[in-house]
Amino acid sequence: MSKFFRLIGNELFKIFIRKSTWVMFISLAALVIFGAFLTKTLNEMNTTYSDNWREELQEENEQFEKEIAGEDGEGFVVTYNGEKIAENNYYLENDIKPLNYGAWQFTLDNAGLVSVISLFTIIIGAGIISNEYNWGTLKLLLIRPVSRTTVLFSKFTSVFVFGLIMMIFLIVFSLLTGSIFFGFEGFNPKFVISTAEGFKHVPIISELLSSYGYKVVNLIMMTTLAFMISTIFRNSSLAIGVGIFLLMGGNIIVGILSRYDWVKYILFANIDLQQYKTGNVLVEGMTLGFSVTNLIVHFIAFLIISWLVFTKRDVVATGE
Amino acid sequence: MKDVALQLINLKKTINKKEIIKGISLQVNQGEVYGLIGPNGAGKTTTIRMIVGLMNMTDGDIKILGQSIRLNFSDSIRNVGAIVENPEFYPFMTGMQNLKHFAKMYDHLSEERIKEVVSLLGLEKVIHQKVKTYSLGMRQRLGIAQAILHKPKVLILDEPTNGLDPAGIREIREYIRKLADEEHVAVIISSHLLSEIELICDRIGIIQHGELISERMVDEPEVDENHHSKVIFDVKEFEQAQGIFNELQIPFEVDKHRLIAEMNREKIPSVIKMFVERDISIFGVTAVKASLEDQFLELTGGNVIE
Repeated sequence: MSKFFRLIGNELFKIFIRKSTWVMFISLAALVIFGAFLTKTLNEMNTTYSDNWREELQEENEQFEKEIAGEDGEGFVVTYNGEKIAENNYYLENDIKPLNYGAWQFTLDNAGLVSVISLFTIIIGAGIISNEYNWGTLKLLLIRPVSRTTVLFSKFTSVFVFGLIMMIFLIVFSLLTGSIFFGFEGFNPKFVISTAEGFKHVPIISELLSSYGYKVVNLIMMTTLAFMISTIFRNSSLAIGVGIFLLMGGNIIVGILSRYDWVKYILFANIDLQQYKTGNVLVEGMTLGFSVTNLIVHFIAFLIISWLVFTKRDVVATGE
Repeated sequence: MKDVALQLINLKKTINKKEIIKGISLQVNQGEVYGLIGPNGAGKTTTIRMIVGLMNMTDGDIKILGQSIRLNFSDSIRNVGAIVENPEFYPFMTGMQNLKHFAKMYDHLSEERIKEVVSLLGLEKVIHQKVKTYSLGMRQRLGIAQAILHKPKVLILDEPTNGLDPAGIREIREYIRKLADEEHVAVIISSHLLSEIELICDRIGIIQHGELISERMVDEPEVDENHHSKVIFDVKEFEQAQGIFNELQIPFEVDKHRLIAEMNREKIPSVIKMFVERDISIFGVTAVKASLEDQFLELTGGNVIE
């Protein structure tokens, strides 16, 4: 087992010694800072509430109602303001002081950047085997007292260790940036969210974990797919291309095929597990258990195919 | 030391229904340097790739210190070090980082051992530079370094002196000899430089069309009855000597004042005796030892050498 960890150490070393990896981290950091600037400048409407928050909320509600009265009973303003009023009333009824925008909420808003991490993890996963072919180093790797299975799985694991490191980086860096720009709300702040069953007062951390967690499903599946493609075709560009296309376009495929009943068996129809939380299921009758099973079956199939190809293949001369 | 280090048993490889290796059996003893030569596409590289486990064998077996690589890959390959084709490394890492990377794939390989190997191959000056700045010769040395890090009992070198300067070639040759003689490492070398193989190997095997067509000791004298080599006679009585060759039905050529006869070396004494009996003055008789290259070309029909 210690050898397995040493192999993962080797793989991470090879990932992190390359400049392209640092470019990934710098890009992600830049996106976070850019997002903070944008939020700071555009979201001046994010009111800060003082100790007089009850009066402030009531004033807000009056303002919202005036706006509704100005409309003819329909449209965006009516819906939006209606929701805001309901939310404000929830605060007032339950005597909860609204949480001012800060580092935690900023971090939560950055959950969308997990797609960027997915993209980078796909790039790493697509290259981890095929690069060894391109560098001509695979032969030096396989003539060691380590089975090909171990080499393959140490590489696969390393890809996800990389993804995890990037995820931690995103969260920590967002918290830091958020604290500087918007202030820190405390160590375990609670805030109000709107769910299918109405408003709830919940800790941000649990919301943060679930919202990042749902997005990680896509990361895991697309990276594993890219890993498999690059193992089969020894071509990282192809794997990156397919991986990113499906990462972005999986929903479109599901959309096109949605008139067929069998669409529910397609991987992409099952990637968004959030559909069971919102209750907005893609095909009637799909359950969380069904989707999780579907995902696991795909995941294992991708791994078995990669494993079969990698362990059985003759390593011939470079360029052949 | 006559213990077998490496054994190929009726090794076969079929790719796309085409038999590339048609049953090669050979063995290399501990402390022996074995040269593998053959023309392009003969199957040398395929054989080497099967020995190190990069290609699967179709049939037969390969044993390293008696252990089958088919049945027990990790335990048998532990005793093998190899350079397969060009030594390629991670270009963005230093020589030292590359060596450490491969060292981690073995158990109990100390930092001291890495340093020892680095100084052995004279890489101290460049070891902390990135490999992409290395010349081919330096990469070749680093290639040998990674192959001997774990003190293998079987060392497989594909074109080990490729790209080395003459002084470097000599050093490496001496080092390989030392490994074989002092540490009883079995060394298998494939090379296109036949003179190289001749200088370093104890024994050679010639591969052609996926078969081992000939195996011989390098310094083995010519004992083959049917083998004719060139013998140069430097004599005074030119015409008389030619008469004798005609008489004995020995083909010959005239080169200025020398006669070059094609004959079996076994016959040389009797020819000399005849010359003496007929009062022919002999200044010198030289049996030209056919170089390995001549033998090789002869055996393989003058194919282009890889």
